[in-house]
Amino acid sequence: MVKDGDLVAIFNNIHRVMKAEKLLKEKRLNMLLIPAPRALKSDCGLAIRYEEADRTLIEETLRDAGLAAEEIYRKKGEEFIRIDNPGG
Amino acid sequence: MKTIDCRNMACPMPVVMVKRALEESPGEELKVLLDDGPPRENVTRFAVNRGFTIEETPLDSGYAILISGSAGETLAIKKVKSGDSVMLIASDRLGDGPDELGRLLMKNFINTLTEVSETPDLMLFVNTGVFLTTEGSDVLEALEKLGNKGVEIASCGVCLDFFHRREKLKAGSITNMFIIAESLLKAGSAIRL
Repeated sequence: MVKDGDLVAIFNNIHRVMKAEKLLKEKRLNMLLIPAPRALKSDCGLAIRYEEADRTLIEETLRDAGLAAEEIYRKKGEEFIRIDNPGG
Repeated sequence: MKTIDCRNMACPMPVVMVKRALEESPGEELKVLLDDGPPRENVTRFAVNRGFTIEETPLDSGYAILISGSAGETLAIKKVKSGDSVMLIASDRLGDGPDELGRLLMKNFINTLTEVSETPDLMLFVNTGVFLTTEGSDVLEALEKLGNKGVEIASCGVCLDFFHRREKLKAGSITNMFIIAESLLKAGSAIRL
């Protein structure tokens, strides 16, 4: 589901993740709702996956709608590296 | 006869190339050069499951597989063996409740299947379940991944016709009620979603 270099946004709330998916789909942005990878903790078990090329547009769209992800990770090898700025 | 060389290609590329070649020239014989191991197994399974005839010849490096015949309208599904698990997906929603939640749960379920070690041998899609195997579905990537792992995927032909989606089938083959009934009765475990 998640390739090396892909980004994974975690939401922790089913309603937020559903709204986020709906909004991004309406804007025809390239992303996929996926089960949150086991290595990552997510209360609702869902995440949104997208590619680096679409990152700016997707994250801006979500932020403008008040739907910014709780946490964002990039897959690197077998690991997920957190890339958002916690608390910042 | 067209020949394609799929040696030194990582899965699922050989299956993708073969699928494309067969779609481009229906009815024509196709010769595929493949590495032994998963590429050979996956391409062979793909062709046999779709009703093609195959003939294998070992080469110095890899195998040559001759694919002939044509995919039938109701495609031959591998015989379900006792002990196989068959999943009947009778809706595009999982569980009773709001449609939006049901659709999300079904999508999440199928995507999750690609991440777990156990997979069903056959997944049968009926009624609104065929929305999952046709154009516009959000689980096509997951179904392709499952197909490459050897999971057979089949959609009910009557259901595709009812929803005018036969031409829009994007994952697996088309099946009929005989095969659905037999597969469910023969299966070691039948799971209805």
